[in-house]
Amino acid sequence: MADERLHGSAWTPYLFMAPAAAYLLFFQGYPLIEELYLSFTSTSLLSPRDHTWVGLDNYRDLLATSDFHHVLWITALYTAACVVLSIGLGLLAALLLDESFPGRAIARTLVTIPWAAPPVAVALVYIWMYNAQYGIFSRTLRALGIASGTENWLDDPSLALPAILLTTVWQIFPFASVVILAALQGVSKEQREAAVIDGADRLSVFAAVVWPTIRPTVALLALFITIWSLRRFDLIWLMTQGGPIGATNTLVIELYRQAFVYRDLGRAAAVGMIGLGTALATTLVYFRYTQRAERARGND
Amino acid sequence: MGALSLRQGLHLAAILGLLGAAAFPLYWMFVTSLTPSAELFADRARLLPTLSEAAAYREVFRTIPVATWLINSAIVATGTTVLSIALAILPAYALSRFRFRGKGVFGFALFATQMLPEAMLVVPLYGIFAQISLLDSLTGLILANTAFTVPVITWILKGAIDGIPIEVEEAARIDGCSRIDIVLAVVVPLVAPTLAAASVIAFFHGWNEYVFAQTLVSSEALRTASVGLAGFVGELSTPVHSVMAVSVIYTLPAVIFYLFVQRYVVSGMTAGSVKG
Repeated sequence: MADERLHGSAWTPYLFMAPAAAYLLFFQGYPLIEELYLSFTSTSLLSPRDHTWVGLDNYRDLLATSDFHHVLWITALYTAACVVLSIGLGLLAALLLDESFPGRAIARTLVTIPWAAPPVAVALVYIWMYNAQYGIFSRTLRALGIASGTENWLDDPSLALPAILLTTVWQIFPFASVVILAALQGVSKEQREAAVIDGADRLSVFAAVVWPTIRPTVALLALFITIWSLRRFDLIWLMTQGGPIGATNTLVIELYRQAFVYRDLGRAAAVGMIGLGTALATTLVYFRYTQRAERARGND
Repeated sequence: MGALSLRQGLHLAAILGLLGAAAFPLYWMFVTSLTPSAELFADRARLLPTLSEAAAYREVFRTIPVATWLINSAIVATGTTVLSIALAILPAYALSRFRFRGKGVFGFALFATQMLPEAMLVVPLYGIFAQISLLDSLTGLILANTAFTVPVITWILKGAIDGIPIEVEEAARIDGCSRIDIVLAVVVPLVAPTLAAASVIAFFHGWNEYVFAQTLVSSEALRTASVGLAGFVGELSTPVHSVMAVSVIYTLPAVIFYLFVQRYVVSGMTAGSVKG
């Protein structure tokens, strides 16, 4: 009896999990299964209860069109650029903020503020800054004589994706820098000093001592940024709605267009499932990679 | 010595550049909100706010239902926070302290929810909410948002509970307290800073959320600030400085709230994500 009170009964963990598990099953699991089912049907937004079973037709049709190949390409480009640029800038910021200088605590706080700004407000201020005639970017480029300065970045097929990327990276690099800064506190001072005494320059110290310590954190960060980029909606939708001519049309934007512009819920669900499959595949690759890295470290 | 101070100078310059880049868009939002319309379209941009324009903010509250939007957003954000924390504490404790069958599956399922886009679930949720009369209500938004915050918060709280030595609980157990008593009386106070961080994360999610608020709610009286503000995109009749004033009003509470608790947010986030 006393023993049971000490350890709890075998049911205790399940009782603790039950409310959250039931909640998530109802609000995420059930809709997800419904969405999976929809992806095998032809269903219109106008009569969402009438389904016609079409098997794999939605997937086949999507994968056969070059428009959808373009969506996949834009998604890959956007995601890869988000990962590389946010982590690159985040790492640079973290290394700068790791050294001691007057006002370091304030600087560390200020640099994270973009992360706290609501995406809808961020989209609006960037739309204004990208304005062709009166936006601050065009004005600056004109003043420097770099561009004629009359093109609206968000209306230009070759500039819209870079413009969206600049906005996204501005918003998420603070998160990367905070996480990397925390990982940098785990770098051994002794090893770093020993490397310096051995005459290593800053780059070699980074490669030999700092990078191996923070690499697992950077890998996890890359996974999270990948998953978030695959599902990011508000910023892109409000700034370009996926245009011009599909230049910023990622999977999630395409999903939303299929559902609410073309009113094809079956096709939209299939797009969603392909996005989900991509995220799952990335996660599996990540776990493979970390397991191999751990095993390699174990063999040393 | 000269080389050293050159290096320090470059370092400080780089940091100032970084902070400038981080702060500029928000600064520009503020400057634009306080620039007279005619000046916005002049040949030269005004780089400093015109403080005598502060009355523009009063005008915004008079002509645009900003107050209603903010109250709705605050209700959604607060509800999401309270419900998320209530649902996440017990599973966080169980994941940290118990070994049981299905733990790995539950842990992975929590992580997998991070992959689900709101834009995808909104279609089936619309159908479900229509059947249980949750459409066009702030309660519906709170319930939908909470499903996205519970997993993150469970994970963060688990990280914090992992850091509490088990001995702290044992004294209470010998005194005959039940598990639930222990969690509420012993564990919760010890993870209070992380709880603060988790609350901020849930609050931000509710405050910022756009897709559900846009799709699941139709009454103007229930419009949140994100949806109200998004309505200005591509709409030309509202002056730019008014749109930016609303943006400032919507951004400021989030940033101020964040600054008050940022120490806890940063430690909570990094504990949760670094430990994976």
